[in-house]
Amino acid sequence: MNPLEIIKRKRAQAINRIIAKGYLSSKRVYVGMATCEIAAGSKEIMEVFQEAIKSGLSDVYLSQKGCAGRCNLEPTVEVVEEGKIPLKYGLVTKERAKEIIERHLKKGEVIKEWLIK
Amino acid sequence: MPKRFNITLCDGPSCIHKRSKKIVSTIEEQLKKLELSGKVGINLSGCLGMCAKGPVMIINPGYTIYGGFAEKDIPEIIEEHIKNNKPVTRLIIDEDHLYNRFFRVFGDVNFFGKQMRIALRNCGIIDPENIDDYISLRGYEALAKVLTDFTPDKVVDQIKKSGLRGRGGAGFPTGIKWELTAKEKNDEKFVICNADEGDPGAFMDRSAIEGDPHTIVEGMAVAGYAIRAQKGIVYIRAEYPLAVKRIKKAIADARKEGFLGKNILGTGFYFDIEVRLGAGAFVCGEETALMLSIEGHRGMPRPRPPFPSVSGLFNKPTLINNVETLANIPVIILDGAEWFSSLGTEKSKGTKVFALAGKIKNTGLVEVPMGTTLREIIYDIGGGIPQDKKFKAVQTGGPSGGCLSEEYLDTKIDYESLAAAGSIMGSGGMIVIDEDSCMVNIAKFFLEFTQNESCGKCTPCREGTKRMLEILTRITEGKGKDEDIDKLLRLGNMIKKASLCGLGQSAPNPVISTIKNFRAEYEEHVRNKKCRAGVCQHLLVYEITDKCSGCSACKKVCPAEAVTGSLKQKHSIDINKCIRCGACYKICKFSAIKKS
Repeated sequence: MNPLEIIKRKRAQAINRIIAKGYLSSKRVYVGMATCEIAAGSKEIMEVFQEAIKSGLSDVYLSQKGCAGRCNLEPTVEVVEEGKIPLKYGLVTKERAKEIIERHLKKGEVIKEWLIK
Repeated sequence: MPKRFNITLCDGPSCIHKRSKKIVSTIEEQLKKLELSGKVGINLSGCLGMCAKGPVMIINPGYTIYGGFAEKDIPEIIEEHIKNNKPVTRLIIDEDHLYNRFFRVFGDVNFFGKQMRIALRNCGIIDPENIDDYISLRGYEALAKVLTDFTPDKVVDQIKKSGLRGRGGAGFPTGIKWELTAKEKNDEKFVICNADEGDPGAFMDRSAIEGDPHTIVEGMAVAGYAIRAQKGIVYIRAEYPLAVKRIKKAIADARKEGFLGKNILGTGFYFDIEVRLGAGAFVCGEETALMLSIEGHRGMPRPRPPFPSVSGLFNKPTLINNVETLANIPVIILDGAEWFSSLGTEKSKGTKVFALAGKIKNTGLVEVPMGTTLREIIYDIGGGIPQDKKFKAVQTGGPSGGCLSEEYLDTKIDYESLAAAGSIMGSGGMIVIDEDSCMVNIAKFFLEFTQNESCGKCTPCREGTKRMLEILTRITEGKGKDEDIDKLLRLGNMIKKASLCGLGQSAPNPVISTIKNFRAEYEEHVRNKKCRAGVCQHLLVYEITDKCSGCSACKKVCPAEAVTGSLKQKHSIDINKCIRCGACYKICKFSAIKKS
């Protein structure tokens, strides 16, 4: 097998592993976890989402991500749904994170006033 | 509920720039006709990198790309795609370039719409600590491709053809650097990733490594193959603990998957990377000093030649590239040198990452095609100056760069244009300065930095910057003399010519450029003992106005006992005793103290 064939196979395996982690859930949530995001409090936000999933929030894929470059609006949380424009929440606090879980993730209601435009 | 569509039009210079207005108005007319006005978002983006297929229009959700359409096709696209939800297949173009995924997630927001992300293509998209995320997005395919199809010389050739230049600041052609190192005959060679980022206000390298460490690993492995090196070193500041942790994890994971170490991807190619921590000295970003630091010595630059490509780390041929330079490598291999060189300006290809900071609404990391103007970055992406303050200057290139005034706002960003305007590209720090800042003080701030960080090896930099700083301090304290401004220029030019390394040669730049662009402010400081921005403490006069309620708060905090007055009566400040510390100004709850 040449390297290109090897990497192709590795990619297929990697994609399968990601899917096994729940990537195909109806909503994907990404929490910014660069140094600056963490300094702005994103670790706590991440914990809120992790807690929610532990206590029964289903059909949501949670992942961390690096910096997307919005320093003044950190911590940021992205909610991606297939076929829809991805939504980005800025200046997320613990309380806001809980509301995003209750309103957006559970009921499908977009909280427009917190979105980054 | 009907879909909420969003149309993004490429507004790039070589695409539909001149016609975009007509295209936009045609779209708007058709939307109006179909009674869809206001229900569809339209925004212009910067260059989307699909120049050959322009004009380009992306409709979201769904990320459908239309390209090469004529004006007469627009009504059909709008009616079929947006009204009837049936994309017009004959006009759709299929583009699978690497960078596109960022646009898919972020492109609908104005801040990102003008950007084009190549080096940062995965930042903010993937989990940086999960190698699967990287592999799933064609990660390590560039490495596999060169190992399968390319000879080392062909890799070098591709990098040369791409026109990529070093993103660390000086802009030396990367391909030529690779070629020079590749042709050296030696059993031992090194690839170094220079991640020693020290410019005040710059955080590009940190964010790039934290967001997508595998790109650096892959870029280094490709470089290792191209120059026939076996060992790579990432030199990174210890004060970036998260970046250090993530790059170390990336290296370990890559090794486990067979992308590093012995027999990479079954080809017999050996290459491995280790991480070396720097203590955070500014001078250690200079390549010869960096290598000494790795060798365990005190980081100090040495004269070149010999260049590192001939005699570098441990006197072996060494290739040193900046983080951002390496992050571009996998894209050039996969998307092709020709495509890469279609982006940017004649002599500066591709994109550049900037750390946008200072007095600007949207601070953050941006990546734009070369040729974007300063105005577009500051106003379109950065959102302008907060609180409707006036723009005064933009500082590019960190302490080695210069301050450009308003008349330079339409300067295109590339190595040549910025240099011609009196600044430099540098590594990518961009600090916006508003009317509340004093340019003399800004120059002093940057000089203080270089003076502190001067390694002390050569006299012009060690002594010269100290003398310059003394003069600047004098000016800001109201003790400046008429001849001081010219003396600063003379001394600055001498330091530029006589210093040993790039840091000393560029240290006077902030001073020289501020004198060139804001000489009147210097003259005010020297002649009128006045700081128009109200920043230079020693030149301020504090005065108590009639708003004073006589609460005595100012009297209590004044360390010089300059404030007098009895309770419930207006107080006053003795100018001769006042040390201009501003304590009274800060504590007054009645805005009764005037600063002028």
